[in-house]
Amino acid sequence: MNLSPSLTRLQHEATRAWAIAEKDIRIYYAKPPVLMWGIMLPFFMFLSWSVGRNKPTGALIPGLVAITVFFTASSIGPVIIPWEKRVRTFERLLAAPVSLTAVLLGKTLAGLIFGIAVALIPLIVGWIALGAQVTDMLTLGLTLLLAAGAFSSLGVLFSTMPGRDVGSVMMPATLIRWPLLFISGLFIPLGDLGEWGLVVSFISPLTFANDALNGAMGGTAYYTPILNLTMLAAFWGLFVWAGLRLHEWGRRTES
Amino acid sequence: MTELNDAIQVSGLTKIYGARTPTAARAVDHISFAVHVGETFGFLGPNGAGKTTTIGMLTTLSEPTEGTITVMGHDARRDSYAVKEQLGIVPEVSNCYDELSAWDNLIFTARLYGVPRGEREARAAELLKAFGLYEKRHLPTLGFSKGMKRRVTIVMALIHRPRILLLDEPTSGLDVQSVLLIREMMHQLHDAGTTIFLTTHNIEEANQSCQRVAIIHRGKIAAIDSPERLKQSFQSVQAVEVGFNENDRVSCDDLARLPGVTQVREQGDKVRLFTESPGELIPLLVDWARAHKHTFASLNTLGPTLEEVFVKITGLEIATREPEEDLRGGRGKGTGRGK
Repeated sequence: MNLSPSLTRLQHEATRAWAIAEKDIRIYYAKPPVLMWGIMLPFFMFLSWSVGRNKPTGALIPGLVAITVFFTASSIGPVIIPWEKRVRTFERLLAAPVSLTAVLLGKTLAGLIFGIAVALIPLIVGWIALGAQVTDMLTLGLTLLLAAGAFSSLGVLFSTMPGRDVGSVMMPATLIRWPLLFISGLFIPLGDLGEWGLVVSFISPLTFANDALNGAMGGTAYYTPILNLTMLAAFWGLFVWAGLRLHEWGRRTES
Repeated sequence: MTELNDAIQVSGLTKIYGARTPTAARAVDHISFAVHVGETFGFLGPNGAGKTTTIGMLTTLSEPTEGTITVMGHDARRDSYAVKEQLGIVPEVSNCYDELSAWDNLIFTARLYGVPRGEREARAAELLKAFGLYEKRHLPTLGFSKGMKRRVTIVMALIHRPRILLLDEPTSGLDVQSVLLIREMMHQLHDAGTTIFLTTHNIEEANQSCQRVAIIHRGKIAAIDSPERLKQSFQSVQAVEVGFNENDRVSCDDLARLPGVTQVREQGDKVRLFTESPGELIPLLVDWARAHKHTFASLNTLGPTLEEVFVKITGLEIATREPEEDLRGGRGKGTGRGK
């Protein structure tokens, strides 16, 4: 089939971005920083949040899924990119016939898949064994996809911070993720946040992921599914745009 | 359609790090040169001369402050995608993925460069066999020696059959087997019509492999020509090399006083007398030896070597490390420097 040059280029970019994502999945998912920041941290955070709460375990599952996808998907970028810059494999990607957009898309895909894969574990266990309900499968699926995409792009955005060591990027990234977690309505329900609290909660994409998951899993959502999903998509777009601009700027100043 | 004569054309290329800051450093200063299609072109220079910076701009990783680069007719600034498709790049530091096997490194690179699915495995197998890596193709490269990793990096650069191969210090610090294999590969690629751009500290390597060399010094091209013509244009560094019999004690100071001798250097058990006219020096040397009752074990005239031309041009001995990153404010790679 003959495609126009721009479509052919687009196809090349997409297949090469996927090759980068597959390579990252093979190499980095088992790296200790990914396991520590992406899996252990949300697990222990959930434990500290849920212990002593007067709620059925099944009702806590949407919050656990939200925390998991948030921390897991946003952990890949700040680990992979500084690592690759340090060992100079990032240069290899930039020297190949592939755009920076496609390189970052590959990194985002690796985070997105990791976020969804890990979040499915508490979701399935909660659904089968702990009495969690799924009342709106479409919203649940779309929320997981958009939230993982937005959080993974946030991770890629974090990776533009100066430094080639994972720690020097991951520490400030975690410092930014904590406030996003606290203002998201996960600890204090959105309805109890008050007017200013609600305004501030709009800064955090986790607000909309958590609310949409609540609504899709038998709880009461504060916003409509359409608003939640639109906001997640908007955050995704914003993070991709900002990440790309900052990486381009970083390349110009570093070289 | 006109035939393309130059694989790479560089015109007025300049790179200033931190151009708008008080600490601006001019790493490359208005250099111009062309690399002909099918040529092996050597790029020589002492530490900090601008070699790696130039390679960075040729590979589109670094943006020139001024000037243009054209690769196989494509402008590097406007059409970097097409430029990158033409290039195979072997950086100074091997950068294969340590966690992946040699095989997986090659297949990934083939995908990244758009090698058709049906050809990837055959090309990977062919290259790994040619470079003596096939038996260990499924082992992670983490456990490979420096020479083996270098070979993996080179086959990764060749998997998409580039028209131009950029080699940045390809044999630096390698074992003899790897060096010989890489030099043989360069000759085969040259015979097959691949254009090779080689930066090296090993002047003998440039002398043997390159049709032309450019000597870059303090960011400027100091000389550019074939190794033979460069040597011819530096006849002042011709020498007479003389070996005396075992029992003769010869003073270098006495030899330095002979008419026409510009420099005397001991070279193992021989003495090298530099002169512009060896033909006039030899009879004088014979007379001097007879007068002092010395007898010769050997007597040879030597033309200038490329290394001597290099030293003459730059005033520096060539060293083995490249600290250009210091200019960029990056981490230093070593402390070696010209003497």
